[in-house]
Amino acid sequence: MPGCVSRIYDAVNRLEVAMSYHRERHSVLASNVAHLDTPGYRPVDLQRAPAPEATQPWLTAPGHQVGPAGGETRTVVDDGGALVGPDGNAVQLERELAKIDANRVRYGTSAELVSRRMALLRYAAGDGNS
Amino acid sequence: MDFFSAMEVSASGLSAQRTRMTVASSNLANASTTRTAAGGPYQRRDVVLASVPMNNATAGVSGVAVQQIVADPTPPRLEYDPGHPDADVDGYVAYPNVNPVEEMVDMITASRAYEAGVTTLSTAVSMAERALGIGR
Repeated sequence: MPGCVSRIYDAVNRLEVAMSYHRERHSVLASNVAHLDTPGYRPVDLQRAPAPEATQPWLTAPGHQVGPAGGETRTVVDDGGALVGPDGNAVQLERELAKIDANRVRYGTSAELVSRRMALLRYAAGDGNS
Repeated sequence: MDFFSAMEVSASGLSAQRTRMTVASSNLANASTTRTAAGGPYQRRDVVLASVPMNNATAGVSGVAVQQIVADPTPPRLEYDPGHPDADVDGYVAYPNVNPVEEMVDMITASRAYEAGVTTLSTAVSMAERALGIGR
């Protein structure tokens, strides 16, 4: 089955992009929690979007790979909660912790998927004897 | 941009909250102190936090630092106690402008914020460990 291994690599590359996004997002959310009491602080979040068509690498052969973070842009956006305290701080602890937990689960999911693809590769490399 | 910068951000928040806790306990401990090196009763202290940029972190990610510890300018609480050695000519003693209830509330919020910081930090650790487990 030609192309099967390269499909595995392709999937791993995409998952790596997702993992690096979730890792970066964790820093952004951790910064919100650290600023729980900083006057005037507005919470931020990291948004990802597919890069515009022009900057997407062209995959013209089955062996071509998309590099890490290729094909997506990340922007830090203001994520003001509905409530702003008297000191101008708009961080809502529960909201941030919920986001951090969800982000951790997504990261773990991607890591698990990468692990399984690696196991597939090992299976293929070991001639089906692993 | 790695997990270590997330940990540094969390750690900066933890030390800021610990400072708040220390200042609140200093205020509580000195709730009845009528003599200080500067003269007069103890003045309540307040922590001023400010965000500081972090090294090699994403734009928008910043740590937190204690910018200064300021004295609360509200006037001292006067109590009539003519027998007290620090009483003024009218028999009033100036006690610190510390409200123990306020300090307790400050301590509770600081300790909750500290817990949240620890949770965030251990989440970063568990994510990093998750990544180390790939392919195992």
